[in-house]
Amino acid sequence: MPEFLKVKCLKTGLYTSIQDEGRFGVQDQGIPISGALDKSSMRIANQLVGNLPNSPVLEMTLFGPKLKFEGQGQIAITGANMKATLNGKRVENYMTLNIKSGDLLEFHNTDFGCRTYMSIGGQWQVQNWSNSFSALPSLMEEPGLPARLVDDYSFTVAINQMQELISYPERNRPLFSECYVIRVVTGPEFDQFEIEVIQDFFDRIFVIHGDSNRMGYRLKDNLQDYVPSGEEISSGIVVGTVQISNAGKPIILMADAQTTGGYPRIANVVSDDLEIVAQLKPGDELKFMLVSLE
Amino acid sequence: MRIQPFGDSALIVTFEKVISEATNQKVIAVYNALKSEKRILYLIPAYNSLTIGLKVEQWSLSSASVSIQKTIDQLSTPELTVVGRTYTIPVCYEAPFDLDSNDVCEQTNLSKKELIEIHSSQTFRVYMLGFVAGFAYMGSLPNHLACKRKATPRLRVPKGSVGLAGLQTGIYPTEAPGGWQIIGQTPLRMFDGNRPETSLLRPGDHVRFRPIGHDEFKIIQLKIETGIFEMEEAHA
Repeated sequence: MPEFLKVKCLKTGLYTSIQDEGRFGVQDQGIPISGALDKSSMRIANQLVGNLPNSPVLEMTLFGPKLKFEGQGQIAITGANMKATLNGKRVENYMTLNIKSGDLLEFHNTDFGCRTYMSIGGQWQVQNWSNSFSALPSLMEEPGLPARLVDDYSFTVAINQMQELISYPERNRPLFSECYVIRVVTGPEFDQFEIEVIQDFFDRIFVIHGDSNRMGYRLKDNLQDYVPSGEEISSGIVVGTVQISNAGKPIILMADAQTTGGYPRIANVVSDDLEIVAQLKPGDELKFMLVSLE
Repeated sequence: MRIQPFGDSALIVTFEKVISEATNQKVIAVYNALKSEKRILYLIPAYNSLTIGLKVEQWSLSSASVSIQKTIDQLSTPELTVVGRTYTIPVCYEAPFDLDSNDVCEQTNLSKKELIEIHSSQTFRVYMLGFVAGFAYMGSLPNHLACKRKATPRLRVPKGSVGLAGLQTGIYPTEAPGGWQIIGQTPLRMFDGNRPETSLLRPGDHVRFRPIGHDEFKIIQLKIETGIFEMEEAHA
């Protein structure tokens, strides 16, 4: 008989959802890929509790939830530090933690980084749809489909056998900064932009707009003298696409973005740098650097 | 036709820059030819382009590009002329569903009767699905029905709303924000995550709209709820 750990979400925090590797193959129906935005943090969290690397985790944003546990099990917290407390006492990130019945886990705000991940050792008894546990973006909420967490939502996990407590080596843990250089390759419409606009795009330090989320990162500043070259025909979007709005504002499309769009695509963030973007929070800064493929 | 890298793990095939049945038919033909390829993660067919997400650890951008080019070169007439299904979609064009019909009539100088007549007497092609799950972009409307998007998009367009934008018409499968001009509502569930084929329409399908009144709207709704509704396949 497996044992169960029940997790009750007393307060959801800013935006908390269950995420895994993502949902592939249904994009032709207009369904986004979704999945954890910072995959490395997801994998490390799972590794610390003996799960397969792509098992579901909780992804929290800027200000985390308040969770109550029934039963016992093991968890691990990775990514941005939300100064989590277990029954009022600070706990460390990047190590296995034992949970017992009645425990109260509270996440707070991040000082650096944007997203925090929590794994629970075992099989999550949550909604799986089209081969993924990832929540559908709020636009697509439908009864019976995976959705983001709401107050009083609870779920259970058929727990793994308790394992030895391990700690992820300190020297390998990511450090989150407030300013990054993000590598991009040219996008499908790169050649369509004026050279001055391209220069401005790569010279400028952009500030992350407060209206950024799992669908996209909006950047505050307009490109100088940008004139849209006319109506684009809507076309596909991949995660990391940087499109330029008619007002000249770049938007980096993330995992919950719609599958098609009509703005010209100037660049694409390289896959390895997507999780760096995912840890930028409003007010942080970035600069684009053009690299070649391979 | 052009094949380009799209980021470091996808390719995009782009055909001539026009919205036309013939161009979209090429997109669908390539999409159909690649559908069962195991080294592809996902495909996004659009008006004149096909986005191809690759499992790059199994198929590099350069070798996939060469191989997909061959696939396209080998496409033959039957694949390029395959006809999708044609469905009839019932739409109630009456209040309270016709949120923007007055605006549309003003913009186009048509009476409401003419508007309904034009919208329901033509067969439209489903060019692509996008925006939200199951949102079908259909076209093309005759030029004299072209209208602008709303200056200020609605925060909540009701589920099932049928809208116009430029030369396109579309149906909101779920409540969503949007700037299309709404002229009616269908009782059909355009997207249902609990159906084997979640989206009612596929790119390449054709659609005809049939005007219905409030009574029939309710009857169809009831039939859907009890699971006895059957889609009407129209004969174009």
